[in-house]
Amino acid sequence: MSWEFAVYGAVNVAFVALVSPLFMGVIRKIKALVQGRRGPPLLQGYYNLAKLMKKETVFSSNSSVIMEIAPYISISALFVAALLVPVIMIPEPAYGMGGIILFLYMLALAKFFTALAGLDAGSTFGGMGSSREMTISAIIEPIIVVVFAALAFALNTTNIYAMFAATAGLGVLSANVSLLPLVIALFIILITETSRVPVDNPETHLELTMVHEAMILEQGGRNLALMEVSHAVKQTLLMAFLINIFFPWGISQWPAGGWSHAAAGALAFLAKGVILAAVVGLFESSMAKMRLFRLPTLFMAAFFLSALTIVMQVFA
Amino acid sequence: MLAEIFYGGIAALLCGSLLPLLFPSGIARKASFLLLGAGCALLLAASAVGFFSGSRTAFSIEGILPPIGFSFVIDRLSAFFIGMISVVALCVTVYSFQYVERHEGRGSKSALVSLMGFFMLSMFMVVASSGMLSFLLFWEIMSLSSFFLVMFEYENKDTRKAGIFYFVMTHLSTVFLLVGFLVLYHATGSLDIGPAALPAMTANLAFLSLLAGFGIKAGVVPFHKWLPYAHPASPSNVSALMSGVMIKVAIYGLVRFLLFVLSPAAWWGVLILAAGTVSALLGVVYALKEHDIKRLLAYHSIENIGIILIGIGLYLVFSANGLPEIAALALAGSLFHTLNHALFKSLLFMAAGSVASATGTKNIEEMGGIIKRMPYTAALFLVGAVSISALPPFNGFVSELMIFQAFLQAGAVAAPLLKLFLVACLAVFALTSALAAACFVKAFGISFLAVPRTEKAANAREVPLAMLIGPGALAALCILLGVFSLQLFGIAGYSAPLPDMAVVGTLMIASFAAAFLAIRSPARRSETWGCGIVSQNPKMEYTASGFSEPIVTIFKPFYRTRKHIERTFFDSQGSIFKEGYGEIELVKFFEEYLYMPVARAAGAVSGYVSGFQNSSLNSCMLYAFLASILIILLTGWRA
Repeated sequence: MSWEFAVYGAVNVAFVALVSPLFMGVIRKIKALVQGRRGPPLLQGYYNLAKLMKKETVFSSNSSVIMEIAPYISISALFVAALLVPVIMIPEPAYGMGGIILFLYMLALAKFFTALAGLDAGSTFGGMGSSREMTISAIIEPIIVVVFAALAFALNTTNIYAMFAATAGLGVLSANVSLLPLVIALFIILITETSRVPVDNPETHLELTMVHEAMILEQGGRNLALMEVSHAVKQTLLMAFLINIFFPWGISQWPAGGWSHAAAGALAFLAKGVILAAVVGLFESSMAKMRLFRLPTLFMAAFFLSALTIVMQVFA
Repeated sequence: MLAEIFYGGIAALLCGSLLPLLFPSGIARKASFLLLGAGCALLLAASAVGFFSGSRTAFSIEGILPPIGFSFVIDRLSAFFIGMISVVALCVTVYSFQYVERHEGRGSKSALVSLMGFFMLSMFMVVASSGMLSFLLFWEIMSLSSFFLVMFEYENKDTRKAGIFYFVMTHLSTVFLLVGFLVLYHATGSLDIGPAALPAMTANLAFLSLLAGFGIKAGVVPFHKWLPYAHPASPSNVSALMSGVMIKVAIYGLVRFLLFVLSPAAWWGVLILAAGTVSALLGVVYALKEHDIKRLLAYHSIENIGIILIGIGLYLVFSANGLPEIAALALAGSLFHTLNHALFKSLLFMAAGSVASATGTKNIEEMGGIIKRMPYTAALFLVGAVSISALPPFNGFVSELMIFQAFLQAGAVAAPLLKLFLVACLAVFALTSALAAACFVKAFGISFLAVPRTEKAANAREVPLAMLIGPGALAALCILLGVFSLQLFGIAGYSAPLPDMAVVGTLMIASFAAAFLAIRSPARRSETWGCGIVSQNPKMEYTASGFSEPIVTIFKPFYRTRKHIERTFFDSQGSIFKEGYGEIELVKFFEEYLYMPVARAAGAVSGYVSGFQNSSLNSCMLYAFLASILIILLTGWRA
């Protein structure tokens, strides 16, 4: 493994893992402020993880080895996914890595085992969560793929590194305004995949909103901490697509840019991530949870927007 | 060299098939399994020699049946398929070694083994045939031997229905192939399967009849209905062979005729792509509603045949548009998916067969908690489930990735409407693949995890060693073919634009191990949280129908359900409910609107025709007389 790529990989993954709980905290804080509460401190996510790491892990007596290994599979899949999405510097592609489909299926792998773990304890909550999570992920999948197909047509590549490299500096919109609807489509994907209002409610695991939180209800201690980190990392990675394709100021090529550029890139990503997290928080606060069977309507809107982009591209 | 190994393998298979027929005993069956295994191993060696020599080897047997000699050709395509059949057949043979003896049922075990041998033999011969006549002959032996295998438990009424259904469909397939072959023969005057220069209309006719013939055998929607009947009815080792490799023989035929015989027109690719997309989507949508584990797997075969056809369709579309590189990627992905599906589908059928044999039920609603009772079988099923759900780094992912990559380069196609069509197919393909993952979370989660739902599941015991080794070898191949896909394509001489899955796999294992070692903590066991209810019982578990309910609701139009609700009330306003009755019935769409009208029409025609045959000598004489006059007139007309 070439050392540049190894250094990029280690730094990128570590940075993503490090900042992810902060973005979660920002969203929580914004929601609290909108509701007129003071809310937990911004670093509450880190405190929670530290506390979970100290607690003992409790497994259901019904559960099997799937329950025990699912959090580790989830975190390892998300770490490999984090390697595929550059947030502070863009490496040269190596080992054929960076494909968009590989990234999506890494997320799918984590989801598959999380859903199995949801069924493992034999609890109705977990089963309901798994069932709904797999349903939602199935119907959002064509939209995700069409969005990336639109990007692939516009940028003439299916490699995430090459996509980001092509948009670095100016952003894709300055070159091709027809991609504007994709901003909204990607935002809906971000909301859906991270189980937020109006798709799911991350604050509760009770009857009406039993999706993600219900699925990991039986996880505890360090295993729960891993699930939480996986979830936060996934959110950061999806945010990175929105940021690096449409608002890429500050990110540069590695190793040509060197360490100072990488540091600037990290700071820029942190700032943009905080802003995007605030937007997500405001969006969540302004919405009510949708009924599960109304969700296809929302997804159809996203699908329409991405299909519109494709049609514009084809006939432009 | 190649010919000798091939004949050796065939001879071993032939002896293995005849032996239990002549001496029906347990020892003969054991010897027969050894012969079958040896035959498959020899054929695997032959396919390796054929594949890597890279040249076309032709050889023939003359004079066994004087007018017809059998001539064979092994080139890279047939070597690839022979290799695939031999690997799966070898593993199924190992599995059957103990499965057959455990199998409960009145049918003769020796007949089962013998028919299996003939079935395997005929599949190898179809793929190796170089002429249409021997292709058709062995195709028919393949159909008949598999029909007898489906009918093995003929005491069962459902099995008889499945068998008859399969018999009719498979012969329809032969009829269409016959038409296609006759058209080709008429135009070229040769029975060899070789390049044919045809006028456009003739080529279209040949293509459509061959597509229908191979499509029926492969289970392409709307010709798919026999699969979900025949696969659950037959013994599980036979289902593994039928679903794993027999339907691939049809794919072989399609690819052979498209690539080496006909010169495809531009719209053929669009037609195949559309058929593949529809099959893939409907296959998985129906699978989600299925609770019979073997029928669920059968519907997934329809889905995967759809994915393979999508790859073939993309190949034709891209090559018609002058994009040979993308076309090659699609074709390689399609063929690789054919191999992968053969591996993981036979693995899944064998693991499901083990579970069905240990629990005595095929209904996943009656299972649960099997992972603790049959841990090895559960692990094997999980490998199959991860592979078929196309999750990295296993083999199913790599082949679907190749098809995705081909799709995502659709931007290079010039025609705008075709480009939009490709994007629409891409969206459906993505949906299919995500629904397959949901379906296998259900299949594995409901049947293997949590608490047993019935006594049968609670009493399940792990199966004997041979029933683990057979599928175990396939599971190992699923992992190896995924992780070393890039290197294997390199060896095969195709530099595929793929990520190095060995690196991805290493990174995943490394981070898994690091997390596991660093973070794992001592654990305690306790009750599942049940909102204060003290003890958990199986009735609180989520069911398979509950699991798929949201998807079924969203995809309601596909299922065509009919609801009957009758309610009576105490009062006239209908507010105080007295009693009621409700039922939801699944409309068998294809049967009611496609198969039955055709069958009824055929019945009506034959009823009309049989009216002539009133067994009166006079009218029979008249028909014979008229027929002779007609023949004389017709032949005279031509001369």
